[in-house]
Amino acid sequence: MRLTPELTIFGIFLMLSAVAICTLVAIAFAAHGPVVAQTAVQSPGYRLRRVWFRGLAIIAVVGFLLSLPAFPYHTRSQPASSQHHPVTALQFAFVVPPVLPLDTPIVLDVTATDVNHGVGIYDPDGRIVAQVQAMPGYTNSLPLALKKPGQYTVLCMEYCGIAHHLMRATFEVR
Amino acid sequence: MSDTIETLVKSVHRDLQSNRTAKRVMWLYIGSGLTLVGVMILVGLGMRMAQGGMHTFQPGLFYSLMTLHGGAMMVGMALCGMGLLWYLFTLEGPLNPITAVVACALILIGAVLVAISALVGGFGAAWTFLYPLPFVGTYWPSWATGAFLAGIAFVVLGWTVWCLQMLGGVLTRYGGLRGAFAWDLVWSPSKCASSGRTPPPPQAFAVLVAAVDGLLAGSAGMLVGVALFVRWLDPTLPLDPLWVKNLTYIFGHTLANLTIYMPLAAVYVALPRYTHHRYWHTSAVLAVAWWATLVFVAIAYFHHLYMDFAQPRAVQYIGQAASYLAAFPPAVVTIFGGALLVYRSGFRWTLGSMFLYVGMIGWTVGGIGALLDATVAFNIYFHNTLWVVAHFHTYLLEGAMLFVLGWVFHCLEERSGATSSRAVRTLIGVGVFGGGAWLLLGWYLAGAQGVPRRYALQPAPGMEISWWASLGGIVLIVGLVLCGIEAIRLARRPARQEISVA
Ligand code: HEM
Ligand SMILES: [Cu+2]
Repeated sequence: MRLTPELTIFGIFLMLSAVAICTLVAIAFAAHGPVVAQTAVQSPGYRLRRVWFRGLAIIAVVGFLLSLPAFPYHTRSQPASSQHHPVTALQFAFVVPPVLPLDTPIVLDVTATDVNHGVGIYDPDGRIVAQVQAMPGYTNSLPLALKKPGQYTVLCMEYCGIAHHLMRATFEVR
Repeated sequence: MSDTIETLVKSVHRDLQSNRTAKRVMWLYIGSGLTLVGVMILVGLGMRMAQGGMHTFQPGLFYSLMTLHGGAMMVGMALCGMGLLWYLFTLEGPLNPITAVVACALILIGAVLVAISALVGGFGAAWTFLYPLPFVGTYWPSWATGAFLAGIAFVVLGWTVWCLQMLGGVLTRYGGLRGAFAWDLVWSPSKCASSGRTPPPPQAFAVLVAAVDGLLAGSAGMLVGVALFVRWLDPTLPLDPLWVKNLTYIFGHTLANLTIYMPLAAVYVALPRYTHHRYWHTSAVLAVAWWATLVFVAIAYFHHLYMDFAQPRAVQYIGQAASYLAAFPPAVVTIFGGALLVYRSGFRWTLGSMFLYVGMIGWTVGGIGALLDATVAFNIYFHNTLWVVAHFHTYLLEGAMLFVLGWVFHCLEERSGATSSRAVRTLIGVGVFGGGAWLLLGWYLAGAQGVPRRYALQPAPGMEISWWASLGGIVLIVGLVLCGIEAIRLARRPARQEISVA
């Protein structure tokens, strides 16, 4: 297991959850302390709530802004001359180009012929690097630059029927 | 004089009678809801074990069971919340029990149709039946699709009846939208105070939001249901898959969210009863929090379409903003308020109060998982992986379900005046929370490594994780069985000889 961005997020999740659980459990244990009237906890409680609200609001706004550059829809950062490659999903296979260029901005034009599918792209180490839905009647354009040479795998990311888990394709990046 | 006493006695008698009827309606809902949930938990364990390679399900059977598990769980949890809210509202104002029984019957008919469709017909398009899947490349006969759609229609019909009844109830009782939303409490508190009218109690906001958002979700569900039904009759009907997908998730996302917000009423009502003279009252902050919930729960559904790049760009940003904003009312008002209520309150720990409190913890943890996934930058890695399954099981299994169990035990404890021993509580706690955490951790861990959801057989490291996670599921179920035994023990004790005319 290597430390990928996803495992880092998992770590953040564990940490935040641990803090939340410990806080709430500590409050539960404090329930056994000397009994205090509701009016006595309310005013410091509400003051704390204000701080908590503002803190959360700041985290939410900052988090939102920080996450903006990582929205995958911008084709702006993608040179207009980027090569487009068609990808088609169908029950139960993918049609993908056999070879894609390394470290080059490309755009995958993804669609489906029958039902909804998803195109999940896994790098040679088996980690998911990008995904997009494949919808009949629509073309979803996924801007992308593949950073690692080797064999990539495509798995289906939208339930599509009895062999959904068997949908798999590979392509070479070099 | 004796006349007035007689009328008083009569009215008390009538109240007790109607309270007894209301309780029966509540138990009808919660009883059938928990039965569905209980059976479906066994189906869930069967699926998890199959994914772990402990035994095999043919893929067709796996996906039919997955469809049934998802659909019946949603119906089961919704029924529990509906019964709870219905009962709590009758303590405030009158509701016709016959309407409620009809709504429940419609929903149960729907559930039976869904079960027949999945188990006999082998329908397996998942409970979200995303168009065009129920019609194209299917491994089940066409009638099963029709039966499933009819089942959904019955469920939505019953749900709509309930929503209308509840909405009518709150609007009548609290003086229209203005009163039910506590508009004056927020904008002109002095006028509100001088008018002498008290604002609705906290649980009434859960009723209001469930009814309003519920009608919205129900309409969307009815619309897709009918559209797909017509498509089933006439395969040439052109439908836009993106349009259907939006409607499907307005329906599914909102309904799933409401199953968590509805049983929250149990926390408002029951948690204070374990404290020493503390109360959960309606403040302007609480009212505003529920207004926010009403709006953001309804528009957060856009996060289900983050990976549809054809979706208008603006709603992707709105989706992330709404998802973040939806977290504020629980984090700042409800869970914070619950913790404040318990803090130094001389809290009495029983099985019921433990479930209610731990439910808030589960809800928080699931919410953290949800927020991370609702961030588009992370959703690229988590969309439709087991991370999704992880976070929603966290707040359904260790949140909403615990609220319902908390309420059930609260009722049993109040009625019998008895509680469970510390040893039993510990044992159940270890089983339900410990086993549950273990089960959930498996999904988070696999999701963080990109294992997709809804796979009968998972790529590495999914299978190995599933094997280990199944053990947690077994421990959880043992805990729930102990819970059931304890509930029966408490229920069989004689009722306390005490009439409270509250
Ligand atoms: C011991 C308890 C449970 C176990 C072992 C379990 C197991 C499972 C499994 C294995 C899946 C399929 C996940 C996948 O690979 O995509 C699933 C899906 C699901 N479960 Fe559970 N579950 C449990 C409890 C619950 C509860 C209490 C609820 C709701 C109240 C629930 C609601 C759902 C829903 C809505 C789905 C989605 C189905 C779909 O993807 O179409 N589950 N569960
Ligand atoms: Cu698929």
